[in-house]
Amino acid sequence: MGQELDHRQMDLLQGTLDMLILKAVSLGSLHGYGVLLRIRQISGEGLAIQQGSLYPALYRLEHQGAIASSWGESENNRRAKYYRLTAAGRARLKQETEKWTRMSEVINGILRATPEGA
Amino acid sequence: MSLRSFVTRVRTQPRSWFRAVFHRSRLEADMETELADHLELLTVDLIRASHSPAEAARRARIELGSALVHKEGMRASLGLRWFDEIAADLCYATRILRKSPGFTAVAVISLALAIGVNATIFSLARRLLYERLDVRHADQLRLLEWTGTKGRVAVHDVWGRANPLPGGRVESNVFTYPVYQELRAESHVLDDLFAFKDTVMNATIREEAQRVETEMISGNYYDALGVRPVLGRAILPSDDAAPGQGAVAVISDGLWEREFGRSPAVLGQIIKLNDVPLTIVGVNPRGFTGAASMLSSPDLFVPLAMQPLVSPASWDGPHELSLLASTHEWWVSVMGRALPRVREAQAQAALDTQFAAAVRATETVRAGEEIPRLDLSDGSRGLFEQEKTYAKPMTVLVTLVGLVLLLACANIANLMLARGAQRLREMSVRMALGAGRLRIARQMLVESLLLAALGGAGGLLAGYLGRNILPKMIGNEQEHTYFAVHFDWMVFAFTAGVTILTGILFGLAPAFAAARGEVAHGLKETTQTTTRRRKGMDGKALVSFQVALSTLLVIGAGLFIRTLAGLSAVNVGFRTDHLLLAVIDPPESRYPAGKDILLHQRLEQAFAAIPGVESVTAATVSYLSDSLSSTDFLPEGEKYDPLKSQGEDYNLVGDRFFETMGIPIVAGRSFGPQDTRTSAKVGIINESLARARFPWQNPIGKLFQTSLHDMHGHDNQNTNQTIRIVGICSDTSYTNLRDEPPPQFFLPYVQQVRVGAMTYEIRTLMGPEAIVSELRRATQAIDPDLPLVNVRTQDEQIAEDLQQEHLFVTLTSGFGLLALALAAVGIYGVMAYSVAQRTNEIGIRLALGAQPQQVRGMILRESTWIAVAGIVAGVAGALLLARLIKTMLYGIAPYDPLTLCSGVLLLLLVALASCWIPARRAAGVQPMEALRHE
Repeated sequence: MGQELDHRQMDLLQGTLDMLILKAVSLGSLHGYGVLLRIRQISGEGLAIQQGSLYPALYRLEHQGAIASSWGESENNRRAKYYRLTAAGRARLKQETEKWTRMSEVINGILRATPEGA
Repeated sequence: MSLRSFVTRVRTQPRSWFRAVFHRSRLEADMETELADHLELLTVDLIRASHSPAEAARRARIELGSALVHKEGMRASLGLRWFDEIAADLCYATRILRKSPGFTAVAVISLALAIGVNATIFSLARRLLYERLDVRHADQLRLLEWTGTKGRVAVHDVWGRANPLPGGRVESNVFTYPVYQELRAESHVLDDLFAFKDTVMNATIREEAQRVETEMISGNYYDALGVRPVLGRAILPSDDAAPGQGAVAVISDGLWEREFGRSPAVLGQIIKLNDVPLTIVGVNPRGFTGAASMLSSPDLFVPLAMQPLVSPASWDGPHELSLLASTHEWWVSVMGRALPRVREAQAQAALDTQFAAAVRATETVRAGEEIPRLDLSDGSRGLFEQEKTYAKPMTVLVTLVGLVLLLACANIANLMLARGAQRLREMSVRMALGAGRLRIARQMLVESLLLAALGGAGGLLAGYLGRNILPKMIGNEQEHTYFAVHFDWMVFAFTAGVTILTGILFGLAPAFAAARGEVAHGLKETTQTTTRRRKGMDGKALVSFQVALSTLLVIGAGLFIRTLAGLSAVNVGFRTDHLLLAVIDPPESRYPAGKDILLHQRLEQAFAAIPGVESVTAATVSYLSDSLSSTDFLPEGEKYDPLKSQGEDYNLVGDRFFETMGIPIVAGRSFGPQDTRTSAKVGIINESLARARFPWQNPIGKLFQTSLHDMHGHDNQNTNQTIRIVGICSDTSYTNLRDEPPPQFFLPYVQQVRVGAMTYEIRTLMGPEAIVSELRRATQAIDPDLPLVNVRTQDEQIAEDLQQEHLFVTLTSGFGLLALALAAVGIYGVMAYSVAQRTNEIGIRLALGAQPQQVRGMILRESTWIAVAGIVAGVAGALLLARLIKTMLYGIAPYDPLTLCSGVLLLLLVALASCWIPARRAAGVQPMEALRHE
């Protein structure tokens, strides 16, 4: 992927891939490549995702019951595995979103702090 | 993680894991498809972005990365990684174990034997000595016992056990019925006291006469024990209210199954017990074994109030058949439950006071007599009568199997160490290739566990077989003292745990040694070591330990073999072959004094008429069957003196006794048809009695008196008359093979008032078993309600007497052989390994001019030292432990020199033999090859 590296693209923060996958499939069921495309699309090509690490993450989430999969037809009329959010996954997405929001607010707060008395 | 997602995970993860494991090929195919799809879609997109197809495919592959790595990550996500690794370890371990079948076989077999033998013996010990009665809160049960000074205590007639204690005291657990009633009425320190008495009676069940164990019980028995029949009702206080009133019986589960096929129609059926009809009103639950024993259940339970009818005591004359009112006959056992609010010592003190009062109130205590003291003892195992028989042998057996367990552990440790040393290089290579220490430790663990699992499975099998065989070796089929041993899972788990833990510890030790060591050092480590360097434990100490244990077991086996040989060679003084024994016990109600003698005479004649019978005699005591009768023997001029021991063993016999048994008459005459009921009273004494009581005299024609007691020790006034000695016979063994032939005298049974049960001794021409059915037919013809019981040949009787010795010889020889084999393997293994390690050194020695026999001598010397160290320790241990089994030996001392010497010699021979091959290999080393070697 090295050659493709766009300088505007950011590396994914540790542990946020799961949240992004959950968000991506919360908008409708997707196959693996579809998840990748949707994240790219939403982020406006701003995020670099290791394509290979997508699949272990999908399997982990399914193993944990946050997403479920079923086989269906893809756009090119081939058998493809579609992932969708489960109730537990929805709860987890909500929880992680809140956590992320709180975290980013706190960090933003810290970063915005100006020297006292300045 | 929130609770909800945790719950979801707990629910879905195992399911997902199992799906992945059990549909592995589908999972692999799915992963393949998914990644291939991704690649294809990516390629199509890249072509759309105006790349050439070839370039697009290349870029797509680069962007996606290695499919192998991703699939590994996906598998890890599903928790399959450790599963795959363990499966690989297991596969590798199987391959390693199959590659060295000798090692595997020795390890697995020694594990299996140790586990199996321990599980069996410990289960048996637990069954015999530690299990409790199967009733609610058995631990609360207290058994009443009394102790007193022998000869002074105010207890005269005991029907039950009276065990001598050290210091001239005697202990018993039977009471008179009036004392029981007094105690029950007065005592409030124990919950309701109940009474019971176990005895064997003749019963007719479904038209078939048989001997059954019967428990006579008080009316509150079922309530106090908290036992409820599975069918019908229990025996109630109303059944036990008045003598002879409650003609009811509750039967055991065993009898229900045996005689009635578990049919509910059993209720209301009539059985006859000593000719008294009883109605079956209930069936006991399966596990309930009565209050007397936790081993096997009596078949019938009847109210104590029925005693005057079903078990009349005619020894005091016909006016006192009931023991219920007897103040001098001590016969019932008494139990009660401890109350939580009363302390043990307090209860004991209160009961003792009440007991003393009850004794004084119910019987006349003569001057100088002592009131017995009451003790409360544990009643959770019933009367626990098997303790005297089995406590000692079981202790010895448990010690022996403990040694076997140690031996097996030493063996496993040794094997694992040797293997670890051999694989040091393999470990170093693995580590050099990047294996982590934990990874190596885990692999060794898997190997040890696989070995342990095989051993454990073998142990389970051995334990199961042992469980089925052992009770047969201990139980007694003729007397139905047959009991089931439950397989004890606790014991199995314990022994399996110990051996497996040993395997793991010693399996891991080399792995850790390897892990600690420098990789480069391990790789350099080759056979090219010329100096001897100790690499941790080299197993020699372990082998010495094995030799010591083997010495111990071999000497133990030797002692038991010598004992059995000694006992088998005992001259019993009569012909034991072609001799059949059978017992007839005529019930008192039907055959009162006099009639029983007529019956025995008729039976003697009927048996003698059977074709194939050479001669027949009846006798009250059968030889070598642990029974005896003894009474005062007073030659003319000697007075009865209660302080002197004047008792001698005797036997009441038929007039063809000496002829049938083949006991020579050395002087005077034998009994004959001329000795009848009305003729002058005659007796025959044996040589020992002649020597003891008539030294330097001719006893023939001498007169003596005997205050004949019957089997319960009651004075029998009617026989208190003068008897003339008419003959002297040679000595014979009496109760068992161990005791020297005692002085004995013989009286014709026809000249007695009453004899009761007699053993028929039948000398046959052909195999004795052939006439058993004829005997039964002859008995039936005379009285269809009379069972012929305890039928066995004299040789079987002797074998039974020697059962324990046989068992010990079998087990100890087995253990001894096992120990020898293991020690031999141990010595061979250690020496072979040592020789292989020292090939270079030996080569140099030979090159420098050492003679092959010098090299051989060096190796032999080394192994001899290992063996000698072990043997010395083993002999010391044997001398220490042999004192424990002193009472179990016959004819030899615990330090029997012959046994010790042969044991030591055997061990030395085995040691030399097992290192002969390594020594020869060492002597045959070619110097040039050895130096070029590696």
